[in-house]
Amino acid sequence: MDVLLNLSLNGLATGMLIFLLAAGLTLIFGLMDVLNFAHGGLFAWGAYSGIWIYSQTGSFFIGIFGAVLVGFILGILTEKWIIKPVYGNHVQQILITLGLMLVLSEMLKVIWGPNQISATPPSYLAGSWEIGGVIIIKYRLFIIFVGLLVFAAVQYMLSKTKIGLVVRAGVMNKEMVQALGINIKRVFMFVFMIGAGMAALSGVLLGPYSGVIHAEMGLEFAILAFIVVVIGGMGSFKGSLLAAALVGLSGSFMAYYVPDLALAANMLLMAIVLVFRPQGLFGMKG
Amino acid sequence: MNWIRNNRMNGIYLIIAAFLLLLPFVHDSRSLFILLTQIFIFSIFAMSYDLLLGYTGIVSFGHAMYFGIGAYCIGIFMKRFEPTTPNFVLAIMTTILLTAVISFFVGLLTLRLKSHFYAMLTLSLSGLFLVLAEKWRTLTYGNDGFTFRVPDFLKDRTDFYLICLICMVLVFFILKRFTNSPLGRVLQAIRENEQRTESLGYQVLHYKIIASIFSGVIAGIAGILYSISLRFVNTSVFTMDITLDALLMTIIGGVGTLVGAIIGAGLIEFAHHWLTALAKEHWIFERWIIFFGIIYILAVMFFPLGIVGSLKNFKWKRAKQTSVVKKEEELAR
Repeated sequence: MDVLLNLSLNGLATGMLIFLLAAGLTLIFGLMDVLNFAHGGLFAWGAYSGIWIYSQTGSFFIGIFGAVLVGFILGILTEKWIIKPVYGNHVQQILITLGLMLVLSEMLKVIWGPNQISATPPSYLAGSWEIGGVIIIKYRLFIIFVGLLVFAAVQYMLSKTKIGLVVRAGVMNKEMVQALGINIKRVFMFVFMIGAGMAALSGVLLGPYSGVIHAEMGLEFAILAFIVVVIGGMGSFKGSLLAAALVGLSGSFMAYYVPDLALAANMLLMAIVLVFRPQGLFGMKG
Repeated sequence: MNWIRNNRMNGIYLIIAAFLLLLPFVHDSRSLFILLTQIFIFSIFAMSYDLLLGYTGIVSFGHAMYFGIGAYCIGIFMKRFEPTTPNFVLAIMTTILLTAVISFFVGLLTLRLKSHFYAMLTLSLSGLFLVLAEKWRTLTYGNDGFTFRVPDFLKDRTDFYLICLICMVLVFFILKRFTNSPLGRVLQAIRENEQRTESLGYQVLHYKIIASIFSGVIAGIAGILYSISLRFVNTSVFTMDITLDALLMTIIGGVGTLVGAIIGAGLIEFAHHWLTALAKEHWIFERWIIFFGIIYILAVMFFPLGIVGSLKNFKWKRAKQTSVVKKEEELAR
């Protein structure tokens, strides 16, 4: 029981981190029809800048805000300089975002050096609680809490606010929204910014969770995020939460029982989804 | 000899190939031959990539997977069994079979969907193979890799240089024939307009899967040659860097032109060579990937046809202009 609960918590925490990454991908894809292969790079930038600010100021929350801010800025710049010139050309988009990923992760090595950097959670989030003989690590709960909070906030934004309405309408029919006199390009930028911010948040949260950060982790997590996006359905926000929880849980259970097959299990899950439901569990179109 | 008369470029390629063929008999610089061998091997790899990216319009981010399968196949066969010619042939057969089966399934799963899916699935699958090569220690010796002996006829560097050159020329002409065949024409039609090709009655999925298998098998062969040239194999053959090399070579050389892939391979390999040497001068050159990344982004944005594509375009435009001028002159008369 003890093990099961711990594994579930661990899986959910990882799932939340993947969700934060995948949600940005799926939102950007749904609205702009762009699959951002540089998302892992933004994630790694969030981790590095956040942990750096945290170590400089000593406050974890300032670190988180700094990381999200860096994510926002990078997101805006990326959208403006990299994505905008190649809207509508799928092959070029895929190629150019991968190039950006490369540059982003190499820049990290230029600025912070090629070695991995260690990170520890702040004192008030370190340690664990013991409830009825079950040990619960505080920081994992914190990650799950933050993930759910972001989910609720974005869900509220999408369903209740004016801009969310525009985003949802844009997912359905861009030309119509534009014809009604709304500047969809601005909305694109906004969504890209939010997506990049979430990726950066995920990165900085991962730092103290895994203990070390390194420049290659962007690609590792991006692969998981892609699996989640395929399983949950491209463009589906709720689908990505569910799929991320699924992938996180399967990852943590497999890592405990059959450690060598952890990634293979997720790949198998993705293959099955692709065979039987290629549009994903919650996707609308293929 | 009609095919030379029909296309002057074929003749030029043959002359260059003959020059490279004779080079070892008049000149001996070991490092140059090793570099040239690398260029030939990566040319084969880049051409197989070009078949997907340039001719069919499919983006693959896991091409290193096929390359690595070839590299590990030959390594394992030569290490586990005696390095004899029958085993060598057996290793090649296994590589072809494995790459064909895997590329078939990857294609079947994702090619009926949008182009993103193929890129994503190949990216994650090659990640899986990287992990597999690290974890399956009894077979692959983990991260460190292993050295192995090669059959006698591959031992000499000059002979191996010639074998790689011949392989490259063969692959070049096979792929040229392939892309000019009716099947290749359909592939190019798919690249230009998939819906239209489909509505003309072609089974687009079948053609894409054929391209995927063909490209995978050739990449596997490039992997075999690579691993023989080093007589060593480790997990680096499965990393993203290999795929990125192929991407850069094809994009910079020119997508949709096989010569472009070869020129790109030459440029990138030479640049690798020089930049690694420059790393002693200044530490920033150790991070040479960053230069490649920036060049690559700029190339995709402003120079999407690559070197050969731009040249062709330029020539074509000029021919068109002169013909227009001629017509105007005729009209003026």
